[in-house]
Amino acid sequence: MNRLLALIKREYWENKGALRTTPLVIGGIYVAFLLMSIFTTTHIDSDLYTFREAVRIMGEQAPEHRGMIMYQVMLGSSVLFTVVMSFVIFFYLLGSLYDDRKDRSILFWKSLPASDTLTIASKLITAMVVAPLTFFVVMILTHIIMSIIGSFMVLSADGNPWTLFISVSNPLKAWAMIATSWLAQSIWALPLYGWLLLVSAFAPRVPLLFATLPPLIFAILQTWIEFLRTFTLKNNIVGVIGNWMFNSPAILTAEVRDRHGEIALGIPLTKDFDHAVTLANILDRLFSLQMLAGLVIAAVFLTGALWLRHRATDN
Amino acid sequence: MTSIISARGLTKRYGRTVAVDHIDLDIPPGRIVGLIGPNGAGKTSALKAILGLATFDGELSVMGKDPSRERAALMEDVCFIADVAVLPRWIRVWQLIEITEQIHRGFSREKCLEYLTHTKITPDQKVKQLSKGMVAQLHLALVMSIDVRLLVLDEPTLGLDILYRKQFYTSLLNDYFDEQRTILITTHQVEEVEHILTDLVFIQDGKIALEASMDEVEKRYVELMVRPEMAEKARGLKPLYERELFGRHIFLYDSAEREQLASLGEIHTPSVADLFVATMKGGQS
Repeated sequence: MNRLLALIKREYWENKGALRTTPLVIGGIYVAFLLMSIFTTTHIDSDLYTFREAVRIMGEQAPEHRGMIMYQVMLGSSVLFTVVMSFVIFFYLLGSLYDDRKDRSILFWKSLPASDTLTIASKLITAMVVAPLTFFVVMILTHIIMSIIGSFMVLSADGNPWTLFISVSNPLKAWAMIATSWLAQSIWALPLYGWLLLVSAFAPRVPLLFATLPPLIFAILQTWIEFLRTFTLKNNIVGVIGNWMFNSPAILTAEVRDRHGEIALGIPLTKDFDHAVTLANILDRLFSLQMLAGLVIAAVFLTGALWLRHRATDN
Repeated sequence: MTSIISARGLTKRYGRTVAVDHIDLDIPPGRIVGLIGPNGAGKTSALKAILGLATFDGELSVMGKDPSRERAALMEDVCFIADVAVLPRWIRVWQLIEITEQIHRGFSREKCLEYLTHTKITPDQKVKQLSKGMVAQLHLALVMSIDVRLLVLDEPTLGLDILYRKQFYTSLLNDYFDEQRTILITTHQVEEVEHILTDLVFIQDGKIALEASMDEVEKRYVELMVRPEMAEKARGLKPLYERELFGRHIFLYDSAEREQLASLGEIHTPSVADLFVATMKGGQS
């Protein structure tokens, strides 16, 4: 256990830029945009006339409605974190079993009494738990800072931030929902994570090419053969991967339609699952046949990665 | 006495090339063994097999364990320095110490910090900020602070200047080595290690060309330096190898009659480097 923790610590130290700085930058962008919009408002309208109007109109809405809007705003603001985090994890895993082979430091890591299984476990845990955790902490900080700035804004417009939006919102519920969806996404994405670890353990160079070319070539061949056989273009691997992404249990959709917010799990283009953001829908995905197939695929990839890591040295 | 390393028919193939060719080897505890051979002789391949870093054919047991299957368990009792460049470049010294401490049971932080006080290395430095010599000092400080029974050094001083190299071997011998420990060293710089070795293993074309303790070497091998007029006579006594230096002829003999040789010229114990050259050239002819 101590060894596993030490290995996870190593991953965090080695990837501090990706795991800590990246979410801080996103949080910074949110805060900067908020401040910019405040400066713009005060610059154009120094009496805050429009803003006072907005506060008044919002105050007239029913508390439940205001709570609902706050909930949606919080869930919606997680989407940028989710998307950037996915990229961070993608590139982290792609380099995780490749970089130390390239700079030969694998010879140092393999001189420590930590098994290859433990090493791969530490990388998988970093992708599944540590990355979501650091992003989550920074996201909460961002929410808090933005609420404080917003409160001052409302105060300066003679409004009461407590009754207007703080007391009606339920941040714990929103945070719990985001955390659940991210952890569910970690499980949902296991086949991808397994594939990336396998490529990372295998690639003699440029892991990105080895990760993307095989599915691409496979898709092209599949499409071509399918076309020759049936003269139609039906489901191929691109469709499978697309469906898998659209069905994700992470909140990937946040948009405003007809003045109503729309938040959804994944991207609501498929009918396999209900896309409404509820715990039941998240669990529905985790206990599905698709997930089971995904776990089998992930197990195959991970076994391959372990086999390769066991044989890996510096050349 | 049980061997620390015991190999029977150890073989390593890369495709059709045979890097290590049916080696039998026994290394008892408490020795400092020099594994010496020309480039491509199979030294590193043999070491990698011993350290569980490569698959192999044949039988190999390192402290009773099979390295290819029990690397992690084996590393509790083995340390190795592959060469100076393998510490991760991004890591800070204190992070390296912390990770090693948490993964290696036999690691002593106090010892390591004590060794580091004799260097210019500070805990907050990153490995990439250190010079080559300092990285070697750091790695040696780490390894010497771990209580293990076998230390494997593969070209540990490659690319270091003479000051660092001297210091490296001095601290290894004075602060680390004892009866319970075994050190296995491969290096090209034979002159530097020959005074600390207790055993020699020459390896050539994947086979062992010579395996002997330094005492045996001293007893068995003798170098004879003669004037040119005596050369023919000396040649008649079947030397392993002959060379010329400043007009003198130098012959190297295996198990020769010392008194007989002494009557021809000056005799002394050959250096490991000369013995190595003689063995390699002799083995080819």
